Amino acid sequence: MSWADLGGAALRAALPLAIWGCGAAAYGAAKRDGRALASSRWSALLVLVLVGLAILAMEGALVTHDFSIEYVARNNARATPLFFTVISLWAALEGSILLWTIVLAGATAYVAWRGVREMPRLATVALAVLLGMLAFFLLLVTTPAADPFVRIDPPPDGSGPNPLLQNHPLMALHPPLLYLGYVLFSVPFAYAIASLILGEGGDRWLVATRRFALVSWALLGVGIVAGSWWSYAVLGWGGYWAWDPVENAAIMPWLTATAYLHSVMVEEKRRLLRTWNLSLVITTFALTILGTFLTRSGVVNSVHAFTQSAIGPLLLGYFVAIVVLSVGLLLWRMPRLADQGGIGAPLSREAIFLFQNVVFVAATLTVLLGTLYPLIAEAISGAQLSIGRPYFDRVEVPLALALLFLMGIGPQLPWHGASRATLERQFTVPVVAAALGAAVAVVIGPSGVFAVLTYALAAFVAATVVQEFARGVRARRVLHGETAVVALASLIRRSGRRYGGYIVHLGIVVVAVAVATSQAGTVQIERTLSPTGSVQAGPYLLTLNSVRDMSEPQRELVVADLDITGGGTSGHLRPALVFYPNSTQAIGSPGIAASPRDDVYTILAAYDSRAHSWATIRVLVIPLVSWIWLGGAIVGLGAVIAALPPPRSRTRPVTVARVTAARVVEP
Amino acid sequence: MSRWLRAVLVVAIASLVVVLALAFRRAPTDIRTGTVGKPAAAFTLEKLDGPGTWSSEQAKGKVVVVNFFASWCIPCKEENPALVRVYERYRASDVVFIGVLYQDSRDSGLKYVRDNGVAWPTVIDDAGRVAFSYGVFGIPETFFIGPDGVIVGRHIGPIDETTLVRGIECLRVPNAGDCPRASASR
Amino acid sequence: MIERARGWKSARVALVLALVALALAVGWSARPRTETPAERVDRITSELRCVVCQGLSVRDSPSESARQMRDIVAQRVAEGRSDDEIRDEFRASYGDWVVLAPPLASWSGLVWLVPLAALLVGAFVALGRFRPPAAGAREPSAAELAQLRERARREESLDLPLDAR
Repeated sequence: MSWADLGGAALRAALPLAIWGCGAAAYGAAKRDGRALASSRWSALLVLVLVGLAILAMEGALVTHDFSIEYVARNNARATPLFFTVISLWAALEGSILLWTIVLAGATAYVAWRGVREMPRLATVALAVLLGMLAFFLLLVTTPAADPFVRIDPPPDGSGPNPLLQNHPLMALHPPLLYLGYVLFSVPFAYAIASLILGEGGDRWLVATRRFALVSWALLGVGIVAGSWWSYAVLGWGGYWAWDPVENAAIMPWLTATAYLHSVMVEEKRRLLRTWNLSLVITTFALTILGTFLTRSGVVNSVHAFTQSAIGPLLLGYFVAIVVLSVGLLLWRMPRLADQGGIGAPLSREAIFLFQNVVFVAATLTVLLGTLYPLIAEAISGAQLSIGRPYFDRVEVPLALALLFLMGIGPQLPWHGASRATLERQFTVPVVAAALGAAVAVVIGPSGVFAVLTYALAAFVAATVVQEFARGVRARRVLHGETAVVALASLIRRSGRRYGGYIVHLGIVVVAVAVATSQAGTVQIERTLSPTGSVQAGPYLLTLNSVRDMSEPQRELVVADLDITGGGTSGHLRPALVFYPNSTQAIGSPGIAASPRDDVYTILAAYDSRAHSWATIRVLVIPLVSWIWLGGAIVGLGAVIAALPPPRSRTRPVTVARVTAARVVEP
Repeated sequence: MSRWLRAVLVVAIASLVVVLALAFRRAPTDIRTGTVGKPAAAFTLEKLDGPGTWSSEQAKGKVVVVNFFASWCIPCKEENPALVRVYERYRASDVVFIGVLYQDSRDSGLKYVRDNGVAWPTVIDDAGRVAFSYGVFGIPETFFIGPDGVIVGRHIGPIDETTLVRGIECLRVPNAGDCPRASASR
Repeated sequence: MIERARGWKSARVALVLALVALALAVGWSARPRTETPAERVDRITSELRCVVCQGLSVRDSPSESARQMRDIVAQRVAEGRSDDEIRDEFRASYGDWVVLAPPLASWSGLVWLVPLAALLVGAFVALGRFRPPAAGAREPSAAELAQLRERARREESLDLPLDAR
């Protein structure tokens, strides 16, 4: 039995099982039939096993270079190293969809086995929804749209993976992280839909899926930062974010997911904004599908440039079905979702959360319309337009600054409203810090009004976070007599959600400062040098030693040997142009000297191909860019802290409170 | 949620879907017309295969085929046989073929010309100004210019014999109304 | 007490001073400055699209075509052409596609209104939520009570096993 037989059979067996499971779960929920539920739980587990088998079959085929499978022939070659062979599972369309399918199968199995135990009726309907979605993806991988096991006449050797994907081991992480982020959001979505279908479940679905939403948000965020780092270190143009359609496709659901994570707190505390939260979950999930559609269908040209296939119309159909179903359900159930009570004061925490919802949605809508505008313009008038960095930067930066501001004042305002005394007490120190931040920017930092505003707001937010930590530590010291360090640790462990959130905010602040500084302060110089010639960029002096050819097992390179001195560093940089055997285009490989202060980024733009007597070197001195990756790591750390369950002694089974007359009237 | 907001939502989602569906009709790497229909920019460039310069004035009033190429360009090598054949066919006529070397060194260009039997005049566009004025996206690109000096058609990518002949013939015939404006191949 | 009041007072002074300093800093950074020719070239090239790249600007792209285009822009700036003239020259060769953001004064310039419109609509929706707090509590009617009891029962039943009655 060949790999293709095994994999194809496993997928084709999984599809009817998923459909059966979906039906069984739906029937079980409708008729309250425990056996139907059990049957659907088993089918969910079996589907996971089968898809896992298909993954193993594909990996087996890749590792043994089975070129009778078209996917292997197109994405692998005999000379490809083992590591890149293994990760070429997600190197192209079919493998990516297969990866999506297994993550979805894993999430479905989790809900089937653990989720159903907690809230049986709600989770059963959610399971039905998940199995339905899983059936769709299984349909994709068993039809020519995205079947990874299509067979061909085996060529003597494969084409090898796309050279861009072979350049760096980080390619191993970026797609799985993103996919985990995308796909895990299916669970909150499924629960939200279940809650709408059942017409009840109130806020339970929120609580049940809170951790899923947080983890998926964190993975998506870290995946985006990883992709950004890859763009910076591998693509070799000197930047980390280009508002490429595929980048936009990833950041849109992340923006709405961020809004959602905050907005749920209002529902938990005050039972408000129900419609907002359901809409945000639906929007986030719909955007993950839309994003996949934009990336895979070929309707927009981008760095990822996947070939067109029949998957486009199918994904569009799926997107339409999801949107019609969920929006229809939402509109149908709208009367039941009416809020009890209102938001009284504009300067209250719930009001700030409402404002941040508005700003996040406005930011997302802007990215969406900016990405689609060329398509819209072409559809209407046939005109060909471009919408790129000048638009997105100019429009999103003010929105991001507004969000920074809200991030600073939100956690500091009490629920229900704040008095003037509260405002003074909370904000005096942060405002002073903001002035100091602005002063730093004016005196030593980057120039430009946006940089100054970013520094001021960053200092503002940082001061509020430090203030919160200080107050918490002080309270614990007074109440429990703990030392400062122990108090800090206890705070983080016991109120992980709150203080983890503050750490995330700190991470965002770091990223904001790093982005503002690197954008405003980058020095860019291009010069053609002959050996021993040099170019001065900022405080650094770069000298060209030689231009030489290099041969590696998989590729040929032309390397410019540079020496870098000045600015407190000395070392060597080797920007190169890389030639892969199956590609006509050379790929630039930058030489980067990273440090906490600046990155010195060198690109070999052109060279004398005959005598190696000259090379055109492009140098960028990018301040603080390494802090972006650090900030991303801090965000991840904060998310982990927030997601961890609190220490055992605190957990008690949730008791359902009885409704009394008195409670009815409580706002 | 008020009624009008609901209606706006439905309309917005419907338009989004329609736009995305329509986007399937055209591939994103589609044909761009750019300078087609505009008068070709006059230029004078150094000859590649000898001393002196070649000026577009020399081709005034004639049908001109301008082909941008380089030695490092593999599709250029692929299309070259077609160019050679068609050039031979029209050698005796007054159709002017001119090859413009793009982003390449003189020596490499000369070697390419000699190795591949490029018999028509070639010039070197070392600052890329001529390519810019023609709106070249990437090589190989071929432009068809009518006797009135207007760019009538362009082809992006390696060109084949049929397209070449069609482009030239429609210009030699007095009624050049239905010449193909833009075409592409990869 | 008096120390407390004095503490408040100095805090208030600090707050006002900080706000003033902030305004000054922002105003200073936003002051109009004349562009050097190099800065002008940078700005114009950042708004033009590199024709051989995937969405990069002429300024960001390290490719040879982009370098040649930067030379053209630098030459035109040195010749004293206006921004529009330079952009028009690029558009004559490559079409509107080569400009990375549509000009404000055109049909496609409507895209610049999108964020503003989104914020306005959102603000409109959000401000509609600000209702004054309920004017005094009132006893629920018997019907409302029954409704709420039923709702509570349904929600509680979610925690029970699927086939419990």
